[in-house]
Order: sequence, then C-alpha cells, then structure tokens
Amino acid sequence: MVRTFGPFVPVVLIWWVIAEAEVFPPDLFVGPGTVLAEFRELIAKGILPAYLSDSFTRLWTGVLFGLLIGIPAGFIVAMSRWARRLTWPLLLFFQAIADIAWLPIVIVWFGFSLTAVTFVIVYTIVFPLMISIVSGVEEVPKDLVRAARSLGAGRFRVFTDVIVPGALPAVATGIRTGLGYGWRALIAAEIIVGTSGIGFMMFDARRAGVVTGVFVGMIVLGILWYALDALILAPFERGTIERWGMVRTAEVGR
Amino acid sequence: MPGLTSTEDALSSGVRPSRRGRNLSRRLGAAFWFAVPFVALAITWAVVVEVTGVEARTFPQITDVVRAFGEMWTSGEYLRHTGASLRRVILGALIGILTAVPFGILLGSSRWASVFFAPLLRFSVALAGIAWIPLATLWLGFGERAVIFIVWNATFFALTYNAMLGVQRIPTQLLQAARSMGTSRPRMFVEVMLPGALPSIVTGLRVGLGYGWRGLVAAEIIATSAGLGYSIFLAQKFFRTDIIIVGMITIGLLWLVTDRALLAPLERRTVERWGMKAVIS
Repeated sequence: MVRTFGPFVPVVLIWWVIAEAEVFPPDLFVGPGTVLAEFRELIAKGILPAYLSDSFTRLWTGVLFGLLIGIPAGFIVAMSRWARRLTWPLLLFFQAIADIAWLPIVIVWFGFSLTAVTFVIVYTIVFPLMISIVSGVEEVPKDLVRAARSLGAGRFRVFTDVIVPGALPAVATGIRTGLGYGWRALIAAEIIVGTSGIGFMMFDARRAGVVTGVFVGMIVLGILWYALDALILAPFERGTIERWGMVRTAEVGR
Repeated sequence: MPGLTSTEDALSSGVRPSRRGRNLSRRLGAAFWFAVPFVALAITWAVVVEVTGVEARTFPQITDVVRAFGEMWTSGEYLRHTGASLRRVILGALIGILTAVPFGILLGSSRWASVFFAPLLRFSVALAGIAWIPLATLWLGFGERAVIFIVWNATFFALTYNAMLGVQRIPTQLLQAARSMGTSRPRMFVEVMLPGALPSIVTGLRVGLGYGWRGLVAAEIIATSAGLGYSIFLAQKFFRTDIIIVGMITIGLLWLVTDRALLAPLERRTVERWGMKAVIS
C-alpha cells in the first residue's frame, strides 16, 4: 500500500507548492485545492456521475462484444492452419490501421451513436486479443500436447484441457493491451464528436478555457484506469500465469 | 504453428531438399501466402460493392479509391499530409527517446528511485497520449507543437518505465563484474546498463509508438490543418469515403512498415545480440 500510494503524496505536495507559488499562470495551471473543489461541484451537480456512466456504458458494451468475437476467433485462427494462412496477414494489417482512423468512416455509416463507438472499441480489442491468443497457443509446450495425446486424450480434450488453459495468460495479456487501446479510442471519440462522456467533459472545459475541468477529467481517468489495471487486470494476468505455471513477464508498461 | 498440426508435422516430416533451394522456395511461398488474403479481400470488396450497389458516399468502389489516390498524388495533397504526419511522429518519438532513455536508466540504476517512481510511472503510462489532448491544446495552442507534444508524451512514459524495468532485470553478476573491474559510472551507463536494458527499451518504444501513432491521428483531427488524421476527418465532412480509405490504408501501411521492418527486427536483434529475453507485449 505504502509502496503503491506513498509516492503520490510528495507529488501532490509539490504540485500544490508550484500552484501556490504561481510558477505558471493560474488560468493554465491550478492546484489540488481548486481541482478538488471543482470535483465536488461536478459531483454535486450530477454532471460527473452522469458522464462517467455514459463513458462506462460505451466501454463495457464495446469490451463485451470485443471479447465475444475476439476469443473464439483467436482460437480458430490459432488452431486451424488454413484459417491462419488466410487471415494472419489481414490481422497484421488491420491491427496496424489505428482504431481512431476508423472514426470518420464509422461516423459516416452510423452517425455518432453507441453503435459507432462500440464498433471502434470492438475493433481495438479484437485484433490485439487474436494476435495475443495465437502467440499464446504457439507457446504451449509441445511436450504437454504430446503427453496428453499419448495418455489417450482426443483432439477436443487436448484443446479444452491443454491448449486453452495454456493460452490463458496470453488471453489475459491480450485483454489488457486491447483495453489500453480501447479506452483511449473512447476518449478520442468523445473528444472529437462527443455529446457526453468524460472525454467530452474535458474538451468542453477546454473550449471554455477552464483548465480546472480538464485537470479533473484527467485525474479521474487516470485513477479509474489505474485502479482497473492494478486491481483487476494485472492480478488476473498474474493469477493465470501462476496458476498454469507459464513463465512470462507480466509487468510491461502500458 | 498451432499445437496439434505441428506435432504431427514434426513426426511425419521425412525427406528434405537442399537448404538453399528450400529457403528460396519458402520465401516465395511466404510472400505468395502473404499476398493471397489481400487479393481475396480486394476481389470480395469489388464484387460486394458491385452486387449490392451501395452508394459511394457510404462505401466506395475499389477503383474510386485508386482514383482518389491518383488525384491526391498529382495535386501534392497526399505527400503534404503524409509528410506532415511522418514529420510529427519522427520528431515526437525522437525527443521521446532522447529524454526518456537516459531518465529511465538513471531511475533504474537506483533502487530507491525505482521503487518511488514505479507507481507514478504506471499511472502516467495509463494516462499517456490522447487524454492529454485538451490540456496540450490549452497550453500550447492548436497547432504543430500540441501534436508533437502528444506524440512525445505517449512515447515518453512507456519508454521511461520500460528502460527502468530493463535496467533492473540486468543480472546482478554482470553489474558486479563490471564494477569489480573498476568501471567508472559513465562507462557503466553506456557499456553495461544501456545495452542490458536495450531489449526492454525497444519493447517500450513499440508500446509507446503504438499510443503515439493513435494520439497523432486524434490530435491532428483536433488541432491542425494538415496531416493524415486531418485529411480523413475533413473528407468525412464531405462524405468522401474514397479519400477516407486512402488515408486509412496509408496509416495502416506506415505503421506496418514501422513495426515490422523497423521495430520488430530491432527487438529481435537486441534480444539475440545481448542474449537477454525481452518482455514481449
């Protein structure tokens, strides 16, 4: 706890001192006190909770469909040589088209709606997830597969009892990478064409030239994502790795 | 290779042709199989648009896209936008590398500093890139500087964090050996820590540039009047889907080339050269 949260105390303190000393003009840089007051006000007015729940609805809808599509598709491509041959180059290429670049054409197709945002988030999650699953299946030791086969396991059992558990850490890594891109795409979508949501709130404050609103948005986003990553995703990833005894270094910075 | 099929492959593979012939034919085969899906996709695209008769303002025919590309090329628009984007990415990433790598190694070389900075950096990596756009445009105004700031910001934190982790992963024996032979601090820095952390640094660069490239597209849409992001967003206002797709393909190709031709080989090489296992993202 001290290790994780301790370092933030001096940082906030330094931030406060810099703001108090007015090193930067106060309309461009505000201190923690002002940010906290604005935060309270946005909560009291109900703006922040409403926008947050809008953003979350968009994120979860996208993530849910992304997982539903990405996980089965990933295993199909990993297990079938033909599927792999035919889709691998396309996977690489489509993953390379940054998700945000889809935004304009998706807006042409669906307008700015939940469908458009969901499409972009699904897109950001499916490709890293599939690529991660394929490499995860590849890394399952061949000896394990052979051992299971020679003990009389059929192909299906090898898949469910050897391949899937062995690839779980890769699934976890893929979800983490995908989500990291996914919420960025969401923020970008809300900034660019937003009507509500936390990204919209930040850019709306920026348009009005109110730096406090921007600060609040960034800090809320940072805390939420950090909490999600540190409390749910990273332990999930570590858990799968420890449980299935695959050695893999988990703490890549993203 | 998928587990099941390759197991059987290994068991059943028998006679093999000469090595050189095998390499050449394998390369050609790989190139062929790499091209097939794209050709298939292009044909499907052409046929589906033809059969369904979908409007060009919703989805363009493949020939329209080629024509749009030709027009943009002859008018110089294409090179202007692509050049603007490339310049920003290169500049932002370069400043990112120059600032983050020394900083990260410095943090990694001190136990105390790395324990202190690890959570702060993880927080910053989580936030890096797009979420800074409102603040960047407020601080630096709409324009070139805000976009470069976003690219720098996206690469900086991921790079610093990974450089720091990389230094920590250098086997203690190596550090002790170098130190016991009387290596000075600057030499330790350049000859032990930098190469030792290199695989991890390259991984960080890949992650960071992934964020940076996305941040670039988003920032260009918002903050400038040139660049690929700007051009596709402008095209959206006029329902020019053909121009949008030219931009999307360019964005995809540029990143594919950067990642596959530059970063991935660099990552492989550093791993082989320095014999350390990199953290694969």
